[in-house]
Amino acid sequence: MTTAQLPTFADAPLSAEAQALVTGPAEHPLHPDHTPTGQLSFGVFFQGVNSSTIWRLPESGDQVAWESFESLVRTAERGRFAAFFLGEGLRLREHRGVPFELDVAGRPDAQTLLAALAAVTDTIGLVATQNTTYNDPVDLARRFQTLDLLSGGRAGWNVVTTDNAWTGENFRRGGYLDHADRYVHAEAFVRIAQQLWRGEQIDHDGAHYSVRAQGDLPRSPQGEPVLFQAGASPAGQDFAARTADVVFSPHGTLEAAVEFRRSIVERTVAAGRDAADVKILPGAEVVLAATEKEADEKVRWVRDLQIGPEQAIALLEQYWGRDLSDFDPDGPLPDVPPEVSESGVTRGAGFQFAKAEELTRAWREEAAEKGQSILEFARGKAGSRRGTFTGSYDAVADRLVEFARLGAIDGLNITPWLIPSGLDDIVDHLIPRLQERGVYPSEYAGSTLRENLGLPPL
Amino acid sequence: MSTTTTTATTATTGPTSTAGTTGTGTTGRTGPTGSAGSASTQADTAGAQDGPVRTLPVLAVDLVADPALLAPLAELARGLEDSGIGALTLSDGGLHPIHAASYLAPITRSVALLPRTDAVYVEPFHLATQLMSLDHISHGRAGWLLTAETDPAVPATVGRSTLGFEATAREAADVLEASRLVWDSWAEDAVVRDNERGVYVDASRLQYADFEGETFSVRGPAITPRSPQGLIPVLVADTDRGAVGERVATELADGRVLDLDLSTGARPETVLDLVETALAATDGPVVRLVRLVGLDLEADPLGTVAELSAALRERGLIAPVPQNGASLRDQLGLPLPTFTLDPARRGDHARLSSKDHA
Repeated sequence: MTTAQLPTFADAPLSAEAQALVTGPAEHPLHPDHTPTGQLSFGVFFQGVNSSTIWRLPESGDQVAWESFESLVRTAERGRFAAFFLGEGLRLREHRGVPFELDVAGRPDAQTLLAALAAVTDTIGLVATQNTTYNDPVDLARRFQTLDLLSGGRAGWNVVTTDNAWTGENFRRGGYLDHADRYVHAEAFVRIAQQLWRGEQIDHDGAHYSVRAQGDLPRSPQGEPVLFQAGASPAGQDFAARTADVVFSPHGTLEAAVEFRRSIVERTVAAGRDAADVKILPGAEVVLAATEKEADEKVRWVRDLQIGPEQAIALLEQYWGRDLSDFDPDGPLPDVPPEVSESGVTRGAGFQFAKAEELTRAWREEAAEKGQSILEFARGKAGSRRGTFTGSYDAVADRLVEFARLGAIDGLNITPWLIPSGLDDIVDHLIPRLQERGVYPSEYAGSTLRENLGLPPL
Repeated sequence: MSTTTTTATTATTGPTSTAGTTGTGTTGRTGPTGSAGSASTQADTAGAQDGPVRTLPVLAVDLVADPALLAPLAELARGLEDSGIGALTLSDGGLHPIHAASYLAPITRSVALLPRTDAVYVEPFHLATQLMSLDHISHGRAGWLLTAETDPAVPATVGRSTLGFEATAREAADVLEASRLVWDSWAEDAVVRDNERGVYVDASRLQYADFEGETFSVRGPAITPRSPQGLIPVLVADTDRGAVGERVATELADGRVLDLDLSTGARPETVLDLVETALAATDGPVVRLVRLVGLDLEADPLGTVAELSAALRERGLIAPVPQNGASLRDQLGLPLPTFTLDPARRGDHARLSSKDHA
């Protein structure tokens, strides 16, 4: 493909699927308060735990070694990624009372690692997931401000909350927070951090803590760290609309992404902010190949490696609350009722509140309807959680162009399924196609995370 | 280990906790039952000169992690590394000392990195995780210069009131013990990547921390795999000895840091004599680090350090320049502690007991 013969993607007709979602004129196709930029930014989400990362291949790298992180971040910077994003979980996942053995587990502290990556990178943003429930706001705010200063204005904070007392067993206050209070608490926490970053004096007596402090560090080149948030629930979306700069909950289909954009725009405007103040970079898994057929095969191969028979049984055991090791992974879902009372289910974000009775019945029906075995069902569930983009390089590029033109998303927060080489084909094959199509930057827009996400200056 | 007169630099007979140490019983916790050769956490104290080989202290320079230091920080650290020192300590000047140390890890090769940071008004689990992460990132060059915060403004930032001297000392000891239990919660080979069984991490090679202190508890295991040094060396500077209390300074920590304040304008000969006298002392904790504080960054800091390190080395008062890739334990002559499983805390305990009942 040479530049002279490039089709003008901006003027190419939208697909029927995309056209059906348009409700306004070209400049506001989805919502009167929202103008698409037509541009995408990518983040890389190094999960470090869970089944998304394949550990079984010869090329599966060390999950803790510095070299793995350094290699991945260099690839990301070569691909002009806006952000390098680290997850966090404050207690080792357990399954039936024992540390979960089947998935990748154990990772370095996010901010400590990012402080080191700041020294060997120039431009990429450095985003740490940090919990508002089990941190002290002044300490956490200072650590973020340190990272922001060390990196010359590239720090970001993915704000998460936890309410379970099980995680609290690692911390001074234990499980002190009610589920319903978690966003109220998180918002108060973020406000304290922002006051500190702005050099203000804090004299806070709230429901959960009393804090006296004085912000005394200088502002970084981007002013203060960029705030990320994943909450997909209405309360989470409202929290993001009031507080966050970037939302990254996964939405794999165009329709779901469009619906989410409208919801976030409405809530952002209702919160008194400009619709452009909140960017949407859904969490995504990307599986690419030269042709559609190869990509289909590859995504099946990836799923097989992510979810083995043992993990499939373990997934069901989380919800059934009982030993299912006698069931055949290639057979139908267990026809036994869950044992709701048994303690020691696998713990981790999102798992705690499943209503076992209801859910297991629904799953049995769903699998029977689709004619799926335990293994097929588990692999399907894992895929649907991940917002997977799969296909040939060209097909995925074209699809992302539609997302960008509609303004459904502002980019993706990509979880590589292989460490450290999992970004290679994205950087080598997808990004050049997005650049040719004019929806992805060829050079960094600036030196701060805020600039590279296209966020308005503070 | 109930004695404070362990000899030599190989105090490997102590289990991870102070189980067996007299007069520590505030926790009521059953300590690990590791045998000799388990994780060494006890300080070897007086009488070190009587032992077989006496490892000389490592020369360190203290940098205050101040925002004003940001611009020259990387170049200064590299320059100091080339001036013959073995360690950098990072003191709190506004920037978080652990992050400042971590920032320096990938751009230095041989110097140990020891943040000087509070053990009291902190979340012990976070602190332990951050320090073991620094150890991973620096390939085993991490240390902890343990201090106990005395500034009354600090407890107010975490909604606590200022602890008295005794309570501060007890809390610092608890946080140190809890940290070591977290550090020692994964075996070296816990990540097995067993394709046949589909097992990534072997729960029987993990153990819970199960620390119950006076004011907090930590369940564990660590959310980070075991770090290269296993247990990160913990040292107490002379400046901090009063605040942290004698138990941490003399029994629990791995040794003492002799502080030499260069801002007083002392002549090099005086400095050398001070070091010689301190090393000759036969009581108190072993001097592990000789730390230059108050270095004037405006007046040829690298030249000053190079001159002092050469003179100290010529008099045989400090350890040789570290090799690239040496861990802090290597530099200090501390043996690498090995994981010793405490059956009562092992990770798969729940599975074993359910099988027993089945």
